[in-house]
Amino acid sequence: MKAFAKLITPYVVWMCAMIIVPMLMIVLYAFTVQGNSVLTLQFTLSNFARFFSDPIFPSVLLRSLKMALFTTVFCIMIGYPIAYIMARFKPSSQGLCVLLVTLPMLINMLVRTYAWKGILSNFGFSSEINVYIGMVYNFIPYMILQIYTALSKIDPSLIIAAHDLGADDRETFLRVTLPLSLSGVVSGITLVFLPAVSSFFIPKFLGGGQYVLIGNLIEDYFVSTGDWNFGAAISMIMALIILGSMYITRKLDKQIGEDED
Amino acid sequence: MKSINKVTKTLLVCSVAALTGCGSSTSSVTETIDAQEQFGCSVINVYNAGEYIGEDVISNFEEKYNARVNYDTFDSNEIMYTKLLGGSSYDVLVPSDYMIERLINEDQLQPLDKSVMEYEDELDPAVLEMRKAYDPEGKYSMPYFWGTVGLVYDTTVVPTEKIEKEGWEILKDTEYAGNLYYYDSQRDGFMVAFKALGYSMNTDNEEEIEAAYQWLREMNETMSPSYVTDEVIDGMVNGKKALAIMYSGDAAYVLSENENMAWYEPEEGTNKWADAMVIPKNASCSGLANAFINYATGYDVQYENSDYVGYTSVRKDVVDELYGAGGTYEGISAYNPRSDGKNDEVFHYNATLTKKLADLWNKVKIQ
Repeated sequence: MKAFAKLITPYVVWMCAMIIVPMLMIVLYAFTVQGNSVLTLQFTLSNFARFFSDPIFPSVLLRSLKMALFTTVFCIMIGYPIAYIMARFKPSSQGLCVLLVTLPMLINMLVRTYAWKGILSNFGFSSEINVYIGMVYNFIPYMILQIYTALSKIDPSLIIAAHDLGADDRETFLRVTLPLSLSGVVSGITLVFLPAVSSFFIPKFLGGGQYVLIGNLIEDYFVSTGDWNFGAAISMIMALIILGSMYITRKLDKQIGEDED
Repeated sequence: MKSINKVTKTLLVCSVAALTGCGSSTSSVTETIDAQEQFGCSVINVYNAGEYIGEDVISNFEEKYNARVNYDTFDSNEIMYTKLLGGSSYDVLVPSDYMIERLINEDQLQPLDKSVMEYEDELDPAVLEMRKAYDPEGKYSMPYFWGTVGLVYDTTVVPTEKIEKEGWEILKDTEYAGNLYYYDSQRDGFMVAFKALGYSMNTDNEEEIEAAYQWLREMNETMSPSYVTDEVIDGMVNGKKALAIMYSGDAAYVLSENENMAWYEPEEGTNKWADAMVIPKNASCSGLANAFINYATGYDVQYENSDYVGYTSVRKDVVDELYGAGGTYEGISAYNPRSDGKNDEVFHYNATLTKKLADLWNKVKIQ
C-alpha cells in the first residue's frame, strides 16, 4: 500500500489549489476591508457587524433557510411515495424507473430552469410558487434515489416476518419499513437542503428577481457592487450555517444507525 | 453598456448582413504591417464586455498586423476592475465612463498615443464632449459605444401620449402593475428614482437619497415589478410585459424585432453613458494596443460593431448610415439616442455612495 501513497500527491495539490486556497481567500476577504494605498488590507469585523446590524440581511438568511426547509419537506413528501412504489416494482422495471428519475439530471440544471421559466410564464402563479416548483423539481431526484436505495436494501424476509407475527400492512410499514428507510431520508435531506440554501439562479430566473435569497445577495455584492469583502462575509456566514446543518444531519444519521442495531 | 446573450441575434444579424450584401464587411486589408517589427511585440490581450464586438473585427486586425489578439469578456465593470487589480495583464480594456474615471483617479491607466489616433476628429462631437465628464483632458480614452437609459413600451398597451405625459412616473402607474421590468442594478435603479424626483443622479444629499429610496419602495410595493438584467431583452421581444427600463442599444434590438415596441427617453432626464477603450499601466504591448484602438475607431470597424451589436456608434457617419434609409436600424429611434438632453447626466463613481445605494437597493427588493 505504501508504494501507492505517492499517487495521492496530485489529488492533494488539486485540493489545495482549488478548494483550500479559495476558502482561505474568502475568510481573508471576510475579515478585511480595502485600506488605503499604504496599508492595502485592514482587518476588521465590520463586514459581519454590517450584516447583523441591519435586520434586512438576517431576514434574507431566514427566508433562504425557510425556502430550503420547505423544499426539503416537499421533496420528502413527494419523493418518499415515489421511491416506495419504485422499490416494489419487479427488479427489471426498477432499473427503468431509476433511469427515468436520473434522466433529467443529465441535462444541465440551467437549461431545465430556463425551460420551466417558459412553462410557468403561461400560468401566472406568484413568484414564490414558481420558485418552489423549480426548486422541488430540481432537487427531488436526489431525494428519490436516496430513499429508493435505502428501501431496496431492506431484506424482504423482515416484511414477511412482520406479517407472520400478526402486523397488518400499516403496522409493518410504520414499524419496519419506515424506520429502516430513515437513513435514506437523512442522506436525502443532506443532498437537498444544503444545495437548496445556497441556490441562487432558480430563485433569480423563476422569481423574476423579486425573490432575493442569500445566494442572490452574495452574487450581487460580488458581481454588481464589487464589494467583495461584504460578499465574502455573507458567504462565510452561509458556509458556517451549512457546516452546522451538516453536523446535525450527521448526528441524526448516527442515531438512526444506532437505533437499527 | 450591457450585453446581449443570444444566438438568435447572431443568426439574425448574420442573415441581414448577408441580404444587404454584407455592406459591413471590413475592407479586407491589402497592406499588412508586421507588429513584431514595428512594436517589438505581437500579442495583445483585449478585455471587453460580452457580445460587444463584430464578428470579423478581431481576425481582420490579426491579419492586418500579423499579430495575435487574446480576446476576453467580462460581465460587469466591477468584475473587470477586480481582475485588473488582481494583477491580470491587459493591453486594451473597454470599461464604462464611471469606471474609467475611477481608473484614472487611481492612476491605473496610461495616456493614449495621440499621434497614432487618426480618427479622433471624425468622432461625434457630442460623444467627445461627453468624454470630458470622465476623462477631462481626453488623454486616456477613446469612445467605443454610447447610449442612454430609457423606457421601452408596448404601444398596444401603453398610449404614447400617456408615457410622454408621465415620464418616469409611469413606472408607478398602477394601471401597469405587474406588467413591467425594472432594471436590476443599484446604479440604474436609483438613477430612475432620482430623475423622477428631479434630482441629480449623482446626488449625495441624504434627504434626496432617502426620498429616492421611498420612491423605489413605493414602486416596489404597488407595482410588483420583475427585476431583471439581460432577460429583459427576450422578455420585451416576446412582448411579455408592457414597460421596461432598458439601455438604448438593447432597446434598438428589441424595436427591430418587435414592431409594437417603442422607445422613450423621459424629459426629466436620464443617464447618458459611454464605453471607451483605455490602456492600463501594466500593458505589455502598448504600441499594438494603440494601433488596435485606432483600428477600432475607423469607419469600417465601427460600422461592423454597431451593425452587429445594435449599440450606437461613436461616429456620426456610421449612425447616419445605419439609422438612415436602408440602414439596419432605419427608423429605430433607440439607435439614435438623445445626446443633448439638458437634464441628462453622466454617472460619476463614488465608493461610499455605491456601497450605500447597494444596501438600499437590496432593501427595496427584499421588502
